[in-house]
Amino acid sequence: MNALTQPRVGALSLTRAQHDLATARQLFDATLGFVRQQVHIAHDPLVISRFGDLHIRIEVAVALLERAEGSLAGTDDDAEISVAVAESHLASADALSAASNAEFELTGQRTALPGSVDDPLRAKQQLIGNFRLNGIHPPSFRSAG
Amino acid sequence: MTTSPPSAHIIHSDAEAIAVAHKLAARFAVEASVRDRERRLPVAELDEFSASGLWGITVPKAYGGAGVSYVTVAEVIKIISAADPSLGQIPQNHLGVLDILLQTASEEQKAYYFGKVLQGYRFGNAFSEANSKNAGAFETRIRFDGDTAQIDGEKFYCTGALFAHIVPTVGGNEQNQAFIAFIERGTPGLSIVDSWDGFGQRTTASGGVTLKAVKVSRRAVIPAHNAFDSPTANGPISQIIQAAVDTGIAIGALEETKRYAREARPWIDSGHDHGWQDPFSIAAIGELEWRIHGTEAILKKAGIAIDQALATPNEETVAHASLVVAQAKVLSAENALLASSKLFELAGTRSVLGKYNLDRHWRNARTHTLHDPARWKYHLIGNYLLNGVKPARHAWN
Repeated sequence: MNALTQPRVGALSLTRAQHDLATARQLFDATLGFVRQQVHIAHDPLVISRFGDLHIRIEVAVALLERAEGSLAGTDDDAEISVAVAESHLASADALSAASNAEFELTGQRTALPGSVDDPLRAKQQLIGNFRLNGIHPPSFRSAG
Repeated sequence: MTTSPPSAHIIHSDAEAIAVAHKLAARFAVEASVRDRERRLPVAELDEFSASGLWGITVPKAYGGAGVSYVTVAEVIKIISAADPSLGQIPQNHLGVLDILLQTASEEQKAYYFGKVLQGYRFGNAFSEANSKNAGAFETRIRFDGDTAQIDGEKFYCTGALFAHIVPTVGGNEQNQAFIAFIERGTPGLSIVDSWDGFGQRTTASGGVTLKAVKVSRRAVIPAHNAFDSPTANGPISQIIQAAVDTGIAIGALEETKRYAREARPWIDSGHDHGWQDPFSIAAIGELEWRIHGTEAILKKAGIAIDQALATPNEETVAHASLVVAQAKVLSAENALLASSKLFELAGTRSVLGKYNLDRHWRNARTHTLHDPARWKYHLIGNYLLNGVKPARHAWN
């Protein structure tokens, strides 16, 4: 496979995006609860803005998940659906990664997260980029096994 | 510069507003780069913009307008700004003022000024102070004497004033409450100077206004402070227009990035024949695409939150609108800067040649996103979530 080959995708699913988003929210809530007990840092402007940053990433993931759900349920063609789903995965993974880093920095703990070697994020960027830059259609998820 | 208002078409629906915006944007895009390079003020374009009816779309249906959703307002400003963000920025205060009229003017004033706007009259603004301590401190004074009011002061960043038929001007009374006086062009004592020489948003004519013993009728003054003394959507409305301009800049820069990345020379170590085959460029486009689509999705949610705050104004709905608009503000600022910088990274050194003028996207992004700092938007959101502090109510939240 080279950069111009579109990655094969399995049956199109938002399960991973939903799961990453739910985990990001759990980590956000747990970290928020922890910091609220630490009066000396709960009013530190840099700590406060860190939660603003996490919240924005989570809200973007929510918005792109809703958009992908709408795309799957609507009349978009297969390429647009594949791209919307890939964008949702990237946004959820971004929120999760940021939440995990904030958890570690602010609580000193890091919750173990499942790996994604079988479904790498870099393939999502490639799928979107190849379609938007080069007009190369993602492989049809309807026939992919 | 502008003497008589054009006669304007009246737009009747959200869908019509968006269709008109697309049509205008295609025309505005043609010479956007030339206007920037020559700093040629968009006088004819603005008259066309006004004549299209887009400056009147937020006038409520009860006063003859379309009373469109703020989802549509943001979409219109985004579409125009993707073509030419200076043109997208020029109506920002006009639209903000229309809402302050709605919130604080008398029925007679609403009927009069909304009517003017539907005819094609443009409001500029003389809000920001040239010399005050911070953005919210007004040194310009308004003194009431019977049926007249007198305004004295010095203003800066007066986007649109040079092109306006009426210049709404903020001044404080003896109790430091903010009022807006609607000062017609040509009123003695009102002078407008095109002193804006910023490196971006070059054709907004965001210069200065001086007011020396300017007298207007008491009927031309509205108690603007009421829009913030009690909860209204006015702060979020000012902010969503800012975010829509920056989202438009991001989209314009992304489209240009794709065009030039395709034409870029292949890097020597890539083993490819064309720049568009570069795996890193492909991935970078994938990254920009989802980030900008995320920005657009949040901008839309901000419009919905504003519609709710307008329909049911209270502490909660207005705070919620401020919080969602703050998200749009952060995302649009970051992604406008990101896309306009990636443009050069992916297109390579030849893309910096003066003849392409591609730096206008970054110059515009950097300039317009300084309107109010994104760093304090992260703080605004975090402080609500962590400490339960609602956003302060002013024109920048």
